[in-house]
Amino acid sequence: MTPRSPDLSPAEGAPRAPGRLIRRTRRPRLSWLRALHLLARPISRTMPWFTLITGCLAGTVILAVLVHVAQTSRGPLDQGTVRLAFLPAVVALAFVLRTPFRPLTQATPIPAWVTPAGHILLAAPVLAVTCWAQLRIVAHTIPPHTPGHPPAVYPLIAELAGWCAVTAAAAACLDRSRYADLGGAIAAPVSLATIALAWYAPISNRFLAEPPATAHGVTIAWYAVASAASALTCVAMRDQWHRYSRNRHRPSSPERNPS
Amino acid sequence: MTATGGGPALRGTGAATPAGGGGSGVSVRRAPRLRTVLALARVEASLLVRSVLVLAGLLAGALVTWLLVRPTEPLWWRADLEIGGGQLLLGMAVLVAAQLAAGRPRRDAVADLYASFPATAGTRTLAHLIGLAGAVPASLLLLGAAVVVVQERGAVGAPSIPVLAGCLLLVIAAGAAGIAIGTRFAHPLAGVLGALVLFTTSATTHLASGGGIWLLPWGILQGQLGSLPGPLAGYPPAGAHTAELAGLAVLAGIAALAVTVSGARARGGLAAAGILAVAVTCFAGAVQLRPIPTAELNHLVTEIADPASVQHCTTANHVRYCLYPGFGRDLSSLEAPVNGVLAYLPARPGQPLTVRQVVSLDFTDPSLTHGHPERQISRWNAQTQNAPGSAPTASAIYLPVGSWPAAGGQLADAHFDLALATAEWAVRIPPLIVNGQPCVPFDQAREAIAIWLAILATHPPAGELTDGLGGLETGRGFQGVEVRNTMVPTWNYPGAAAGPTPSGPQLTAVGYLLAKAMTGLPERKVSQVLTSAWATWLNERTTDAQLAAALGIRMPSVPLPPSLRPGSTPPPGMTIVNANQPALQNPVCAT
Repeated sequence: MTPRSPDLSPAEGAPRAPGRLIRRTRRPRLSWLRALHLLARPISRTMPWFTLITGCLAGTVILAVLVHVAQTSRGPLDQGTVRLAFLPAVVALAFVLRTPFRPLTQATPIPAWVTPAGHILLAAPVLAVTCWAQLRIVAHTIPPHTPGHPPAVYPLIAELAGWCAVTAAAAACLDRSRYADLGGAIAAPVSLATIALAWYAPISNRFLAEPPATAHGVTIAWYAVASAASALTCVAMRDQWHRYSRNRHRPSSPERNPS
Repeated sequence: MTATGGGPALRGTGAATPAGGGGSGVSVRRAPRLRTVLALARVEASLLVRSVLVLAGLLAGALVTWLLVRPTEPLWWRADLEIGGGQLLLGMAVLVAAQLAAGRPRRDAVADLYASFPATAGTRTLAHLIGLAGAVPASLLLLGAAVVVVQERGAVGAPSIPVLAGCLLLVIAAGAAGIAIGTRFAHPLAGVLGALVLFTTSATTHLASGGGIWLLPWGILQGQLGSLPGPLAGYPPAGAHTAELAGLAVLAGIAALAVTVSGARARGGLAAAGILAVAVTCFAGAVQLRPIPTAELNHLVTEIADPASVQHCTTANHVRYCLYPGFGRDLSSLEAPVNGVLAYLPARPGQPLTVRQVVSLDFTDPSLTHGHPERQISRWNAQTQNAPGSAPTASAIYLPVGSWPAAGGQLADAHFDLALATAEWAVRIPPLIVNGQPCVPFDQAREAIAIWLAILATHPPAGELTDGLGGLETGRGFQGVEVRNTMVPTWNYPGAAAGPTPSGPQLTAVGYLLAKAMTGLPERKVSQVLTSAWATWLNERTTDAQLAAALGIRMPSVPLPPSLRPGSTPPPGMTIVNANQPALQNPVCAT
């Protein structure tokens, strides 16, 4: 839980004490840095490390099993195997953005989006290391004197980055919906379906899959997707309220509102 | 989504003693356990039926089934396995939904509340397992719809009941696995990971080989079922696989109950049932690993090496069509493009045309011949290497089994492909191949005539024909082959990549552009020019320019891109065919 620190100045929108005039002060830049310093520990503590690492390890273990079987019978693995092995990590990312205590953090001076944003920042290096390790494992299966150049890795990295960004966006959007409790469980299939559509639908396939698209084109297209998804994630994380598609016209009550 | 808690109150459970000794002083009466289980199962089944995940899985399964079935020739001995591909998607969704349902108490931190209920954890798990019946309607619906679609597309053969039963069991087994995971791991990630593991077993060809591919829950990517002229006994071993899936479903159910059941007697019963399930699964696995009977493979080899002994041949419009039993429904579809070309021919070649089905099977594939001695496999290989279709002939068009689509754009492409092969026979372009390179009718008027005939016979979309130039017209790409040390731009006709008639000549861009210009002229005028000197036009020395001059049209020119002119380097992004193999030359088609 993020503690209320005396070092932090009151944020905009914080409840004002009745009968007292509160002068709006400009928040000094240094206080943000101090706040980040103070927030680092609770954010890293509340990060669902076990979920993320389980997902990353599960994919890597599957890849290791495939490598073991492939080395004995079926020859070197290709980049498609890396895609397959990275899916569990992508699925785990869908569960990282969920902050069950968000209703409480919204009442603190720190913006509520800081916690999920911090979790994403912490997850990024773990995902990068997983990707690197899986690429190394697959590269290990290719014999050293194989004729021809191995396929370029940079389009694959762009693609995996795009997958992560799409998953983060789906999880962030669902976290602001009435399905927040099962946000990860829904965001994961939604992300997988999006990835499958991007791969197989003829409209997107022309830009996002190689071939028919070129390696350069695939890289640009996936980074564009990742940028758009990241922007959507930011917007969703800054959103203050849960969205309700049903019972919109009913009078709201504290018991009915989970936030 | 499966409800995260609550649910309708159960009638008839009455008051009962809290399980696990959680009650304190509340006097309750234990209701009949079976009634409780059935009532709970009914609730869980209804939640599963209404689960958004299951509905999404149903839609995804339908989509995948359609994508698998649509582009290929509908053969029941392959289609029923492809239908299982859609069931796999549904099974993954059921697995996740079942895991969410089974992990509900711990995930929502209400395990203590549930413990105070009359129904014990074991009872609830048993109800979850029986509640998997809620996934059966979705599976049957998907199965029925897929069977109707495949049958409506004119499938050859009959559906295999054991394979279709296996599809249903796959969904049930996936659900049971989800419950087993959910009773131990409440986090939703566990269910999604379980579904991904199930998917991985089918999505990669690296996990198993030989007979081992049938041990995977649903191996749809492997095997050569689509190339078989008919069902092959033991390939796949459907009955044994269904037994294996049933054994796995029971094992998963026992694993789920083992976590929640506490009584010694119940645990003993579970252990006995578990041993029985393991025995059934292992026995089914062993049966699946048995080699395909030698007699069946001998019969298959005979069908391939000597197709005349089994094929039904029909002569129509002086063309002989020889098809394997059951494929007679393709006859009218084959006749249409052939007759279309024949209708425009001024004269037919002396050699009559035969359109024959052939089988292209790889007998070195261990999934087909595992367990047989090397010598026997070599003998089968030797027998099939001399089969019709192994070498192209001028008077026959060979159609590999499984390559004739049922409908849609693929059928239109196949029609054009067959029409073009007929036209090449009519203008006597030989199907010559040297060192694996097809011949090129380079600067031969008969090439343009053949393409013109095929276009008139089938009327393919103009855009699709132009796409065959590979971006040459727009300057965005170039594809070519080297003939007599000259780079010749090529044209790939619709269906060339996956066409039913392999080993045709490599056509040129000039030939296509000239044929395209010919289609702009009145048919009668072109026919008159061709009929007036038919023998001359069929001569390999008659050039495109001569034909263009006779028709009064401008000879189309296809300039090489600047990058391929002497002394220049290709710009980034441009691929040059055969750039790394300058010595690889295609022969010129000569009679």
